[in-house]
Amino acid sequence: MKLHKPLLIGLAACLLGAPLIARAYEGDWKRGHVYYRMVCTECHKTKPCGPIAPSSRTRAEWAAYLQADKHAKGAESLKTYIGKPYRTSIAATNKAAAKFADVPDQELFEDLKAFLDRSAKDGDAPTGCR
Amino acid sequence: MNQRAIGVLWGETRLTGRILSALCIAAAGLFGSGFGVASGTADHSKFKELQAEFKSGQEVTRACLSCHTEASRQVMKTKHWTWEAVNPNTNQKLGKKTLVNNFCIGIASNQAYCTSCHIGYGWKDNSFDFSAEENVDCLVCHDTTGTYRKPSGLAGHPVYKEMEFPPGSGEILHPVDLNKVAQKVGKSSRYNCGACHFYGGRGDGVKHGDLDTSLEAADADVDVHMDATGLDFTCATCHTTTGHAVPGSRYTPVAKDEQRPLLRGMLGMRNPTTCESCHSGRPHTAETMAKIEPLPGFTAVSMAAIVNKHGEKVACQTCHIPAMARGGVATKMKWDWSEAGKMGPDGKPMVVKDVKGHAIYDSKKGAFVLQENVIPEYLWSNGEVIFTTLGDKVVKSDSYTPINRFGGSPNDGKSRIWPVKVFHGVQPYDPVNQTLVIPHTYGTDPDSYAVGFNWEKAVAAGMANRGAPFSGKVDFIKTEMYWRINHMVAPRAGTLKCEECHTKTGNLSRGRMKNVPGLKKGPLFDFKR
Repeated sequence: MKLHKPLLIGLAACLLGAPLIARAYEGDWKRGHVYYRMVCTECHKTKPCGPIAPSSRTRAEWAAYLQADKHAKGAESLKTYIGKPYRTSIAATNKAAAKFADVPDQELFEDLKAFLDRSAKDGDAPTGCR
Repeated sequence: MNQRAIGVLWGETRLTGRILSALCIAAAGLFGSGFGVASGTADHSKFKELQAEFKSGQEVTRACLSCHTEASRQVMKTKHWTWEAVNPNTNQKLGKKTLVNNFCIGIASNQAYCTSCHIGYGWKDNSFDFSAEENVDCLVCHDTTGTYRKPSGLAGHPVYKEMEFPPGSGEILHPVDLNKVAQKVGKSSRYNCGACHFYGGRGDGVKHGDLDTSLEAADADVDVHMDATGLDFTCATCHTTTGHAVPGSRYTPVAKDEQRPLLRGMLGMRNPTTCESCHSGRPHTAETMAKIEPLPGFTAVSMAAIVNKHGEKVACQTCHIPAMARGGVATKMKWDWSEAGKMGPDGKPMVVKDVKGHAIYDSKKGAFVLQENVIPEYLWSNGEVIFTTLGDKVVKSDSYTPINRFGGSPNDGKSRIWPVKVFHGVQPYDPVNQTLVIPHTYGTDPDSYAVGFNWEKAVAAGMANRGAPFSGKVDFIKTEMYWRINHMVAPRAGTLKCEECHTKTGNLSRGRMKNVPGLKKGPLFDFKR
């Protein structure tokens, strides 16, 4: 078995490394900004809680919120509103959803994450609801 | 199997394993590279010159220049670097280095604060070396990470190590990751230009009225060109650079562009920032006019003809930018420095905010008026702009002293009616010498107005820094400054309707043009609809 150790390491690296590197996609904060403003905020305007400024939370709070994947006080998954089915459902009336219709869910999630990290209260560029 | 054979096999296997690992990871890398592929043709993270541990902005610039050998010399010829400009028509020496305005007033003695928007590092006083190429800041225009910031007070430097700034404020500034920023440089975006131009006058949307952070991720209603889900223009789409020189000037603006549309790439001496440089001087066609409700008795063809005729006397912006500050960010309309110096109940400087969170009073700066959705004022402009500079005589009166004046008249053949933001100020001046003055308003030294709250000392420091005469007396004078409106172009539905100027009987005396001289303002025709 010892003889195969390096091979096993190589194969393991192959299996583990591929998705790791594929996941190395760095969020596009500019795209995240557009989605947040034109999809998230646009919908929140008409909901009871109103728009939520990215700068109203710290980076850690946003990271925890995204990690928890809870929306509407835990009643729904946050990722529902980033997923392709949701984007498709509103594409006719929402230009941002239409523009990003084909973006993979995970990429868009990373985009939002990058934007919120940058725009949080203690981020590099605290951002309001604009 | 003997020991040697085992050893060989072990060695080969180990080698093969490593190769396999490398290949697998490389393959994964290739697969993964499909995500987030840069739009440019160079991945700067692969350049060994940028794989150093940068300690300062200048170190990054030196690395940039090792490949982009001419970049600094190009930048150093531009107004972004010199902050100087001479108007060839009037020979007035202009530029931020020279001018006085009625916002923060002037840079003399305040350099370390104002130059957070200089395209360079280290302009903290008059000893700044404008010939040192390494002082050019490449990153402020080419950062794509959104993390590169140049805080006010650091003379154009970003933060290199964690610091409390201003000292004693409790605000901690974190260092920028210069390596990451340098390895991810790219074309300028609205965020890069906006980092300064959206914040002119020390705040979002303060100065221009048509430039604020609502244009970062704009929707079509705010600006049809910069609509992030539509055309998504960057600033450079119109302000097309040549050798790092960015066209478009407030000192020598184009009032009427009668040349043919410009084929992009063929710039020559032509200003590519005019509407006409893309749309032509007669952009309205029967096809486009068919999309709006025609006036009674008009066809789409005749509507196109009459609207194109308007273009001879009316700037495109007049009809197509119905209001400024439309994106939810208020613009400053008035700044009264004479109100500064009032302390809060605790005897300390205070800031008072309105219900929307806008500062409307600051002990260190005075009182402000801010507004959203501001309808511009309109005037004739032929492209001439005359500034009141530091040595010019000014006379205090009930009327506003102009910081700048636009040349133009209805009959000179060169003028058109333009929309402008008129900004009103009350600012310190020297009543003995009868000149505007530059006070020392920022900084932590006792002469700074923000510390000592003493106008005489603050003005003396500012004028000494500039080498300008000062009598020792300070009074306040009402001033106004004009800012032409060019951005926040509305979609077709938001364009001005005929009746917004002509009223329903073609009467210009009550609509938007009521204050524009030289127009026939009586009832001209009836176009009730």
